[in-house]
This record gives sequence, C-alpha cells and structure tokens, in this order.
Amino acid sequence: METAQNSVPARSGSELRNAGQSWGQLGDATQVEGRVQNFHLARLVSGHLAPALTDFPIGVTGTLRLRPGLSLTMLSRVVLSAAATAAPSLKNAAFLGPGVLQATRTFHTGQPHLAPVPPLPEYGGKVRYGLIPEEFFQFLYPKTGVTGPYVLGTGLILYALSKEIYVISAETFTALSVLGVMVYGIKKYGPFVADFADKLNEQKLAQLEEAKQASIQHIQNAIDMEKSQQALVQKRHYLFDVQRNNIAMALEVTYRERLYRVYKEVKNRLDYHISVQNMMRRKEQEHMINWVEKHVVQSISTQQEKETIAKCIADLKLLAKKAQAQPVM
Amino acid sequence: MANYSVGIFSHSSVSVPVKDKKLLEVKLGELPSWILMRDFSPSGIFGAFQRGYYRYYNKYINVKKGSISGITMVLACYVLFSYSFSYKHLKHERLRKYH
Repeated sequence: METAQNSVPARSGSELRNAGQSWGQLGDATQVEGRVQNFHLARLVSGHLAPALTDFPIGVTGTLRLRPGLSLTMLSRVVLSAAATAAPSLKNAAFLGPGVLQATRTFHTGQPHLAPVPPLPEYGGKVRYGLIPEEFFQFLYPKTGVTGPYVLGTGLILYALSKEIYVISAETFTALSVLGVMVYGIKKYGPFVADFADKLNEQKLAQLEEAKQASIQHIQNAIDMEKSQQALVQKRHYLFDVQRNNIAMALEVTYRERLYRVYKEVKNRLDYHISVQNMMRRKEQEHMINWVEKHVVQSISTQQEKETIAKCIADLKLLAKKAQAQPVM
Repeated sequence: MANYSVGIFSHSSVSVPVKDKKLLEVKLGELPSWILMRDFSPSGIFGAFQRGYYRYYNKYINVKKGSISGITMVLACYVLFSYSFSYKHLKHERLRKYH
C-alpha cells in the first residue's frame, strides 16, 4: 500500500498491475486487473493515480474502510473517477495522460479561510505586573482562590533566597536600582509613548484611508461621467435632426442650381435658334434689297437717265423761282 | 501537514489520534508515546520554534495596543536563562556555607 501511496512513476504494465493489485487488496482486485491493459499508453501517469482512471468508482470509494488518515489525493481520485464515469470516453482517451488529469482536477473547491483577513486584535494577552500572564492566575484560581499565585510567588522567592539558589551579591543592588528606574520610567512615560505610537498608527491608517477614498472618488467620477455620457445617448436625435435638415437643404440647393442651369442652357439653345432665324431673315432682306437695287439701276438706261436729270433740273428751277418769290413776302 | 483528516472520510469514532493532541490535553499515561511521536527532525524542531515564536508574537506583540509586557516577559526569561547559565560561578559567592 505504501508503494501505491508514494508517487513512484509506473514504468511498466507489470508495475501497474502490482499497483493495481495492491489497491485490489482493499476489495476489487479482479476488476482493476482487467483494466490495466487499457492503460498501457498511460505510462506517463504515476502509478498510484492509474487505477483512478478506471470508470469504476466503487473501486476507490470502497476504501471507506481505510484508516482515517486519508490523504487529499484520495479526494482528487474520487473526483477523477466520478468524472470518468460521467464521460466514458475518458477511458479510451487515457492515452492523453496528464492532459486528461489536468482537465478533470478541480481547484479551489474549499472555502477560503482567510478572506477577508481578520483585523488585528485590539489588546494583547493580559499580563500581571508585566511579567506573569493572566492565564496562570486563572489556572490556579479554582484550587487556591485569588491569593494562590501570590503565596506561590512569595514562597518561591523565600525558598530561593534561603537556599541561596539566588545569591545576594553586588549585582543584586544593581538589579534592584535598574528595576526601580525601569518601573519609574515606564510608569511616567508609558502613556506618552503609547500615545505617540498610536498617533503614528493613526497617521498610517489615515494615509491608507485617504488613498482608498481617493480611489473611490476617482471611480465615482468615472461612473458619473459614464452615466452622463449614457444620458447623452438619449439626446442623439437632435444631432441627427440637424444633420438631416442640413442635408435636405443642401439637396434643395443643388436641385435649384441644376434647375437654373437647365433653364439657362435651354434658353441659350433657343436664343441661338432665334438669332439664327433673325440673321437669316436679315440676310435675305438685304440680299433682296441689293438685288432689287441692282436690277433697278441696271434697268435705268442712259437715255432715261438724261431725261430724268433734265426733268429734275426743270423742277428745281421752278422750285427756285417759287422760293425766291416767297421769302420776299 | 501530513495525514490531514478529510471530513467525509474520517473514522466513525470521534476521538482524535494521539499525535494531533495538544500538550495540555494529553493524559499523563500517554505522555511518553506523545513525546516519542513528535517530529524531532531538524525541520520539525525548527517548525516547533517557529510555531512558538508566532504564538507569542501574535498574542502579545502583533496587536493594536500592545503593552510593555510583551517585551519585559522576554527580558525576564532572558535574565533567568542567563542566571541559570552563570549559577556555577555564582555558587562560590554564597554568604553562608550551610543552608
């Protein structure tokens, strides 16, 4: 049993079988033996854990009859075997060896027994006269009452003096004076030192408290900022409305611009056609006039020209006479 | 510690084995076996000193309002200890020969 208990790694199937047999002494030799060949590939696993990979929990929990000094590893073995029953594929996946072991081991299952850390006690153990703990007086109280320890102390001192277990010498007076000075000093300045030490402690605590408060304040500020930013989310729609309005306006403006441009282009084209027509008409007119003039001028023969000129001269003479006659009036 | 007894697997009987008892709970008849069962290896002795030190320390010194007795008790024990070592020489300074 000891070889199975110690973590000697199994190196061969025969050793595993021996280990299995040693466990089998506790009740299930045949079953453990039968399964050993399954773990031919599980040589990596140390000998005392191999039987736990069998999916036969009674083989391990049957050791309830063991002596009470059961190690914690037994508990993990039970867990492993329970896990193996739950997942029978584990039996065939035993060649994964330690990996399987790590996957099924449970950590941190016990209650943490130092969380939160208990605070320092306020006062230490009570001590009488600065030398003898109070527990001694309580120990003797049932048998001897209140004066018991004092009588014991006096008796011991007298015995030591009379039998010269304690020898009175020059050192005695030194010791007594030193003791006297110490007692006087402690009685006079004890409270002062105690207050000073308490003040130092308080300063330390105040510093830590301040750090804690600062941290809390910092976190509170962060929380408030977070909350305000979350509240801002509710007001997002203003932003979107403004953006939507802007976009609508821009669209409108572009639409109108383009409309105006279309109008201008169309008007341009139409003006062009109009001006072309006007020009054609003008050109036709001029051409016609020139043509008519030319022909008329051509048609005037030289003889007709002479006649007309003579007539014009005669008319002019007539007119001149008329004009001469009139201004005199 | 080795052989930490797990609750659900403990013995049906209620008694604690001798090894785990404290000194004040050991009966007088069991005293020799108790002494023999203690761990006398160097690490065991060192562990015992450590435990004793921390017991005294946590009771009298590691408190908020410790008193002078935490130190004076140690000094008194030191005085007695050194007196017992120098008793051999002090014996010769006795005032009387017969007590």
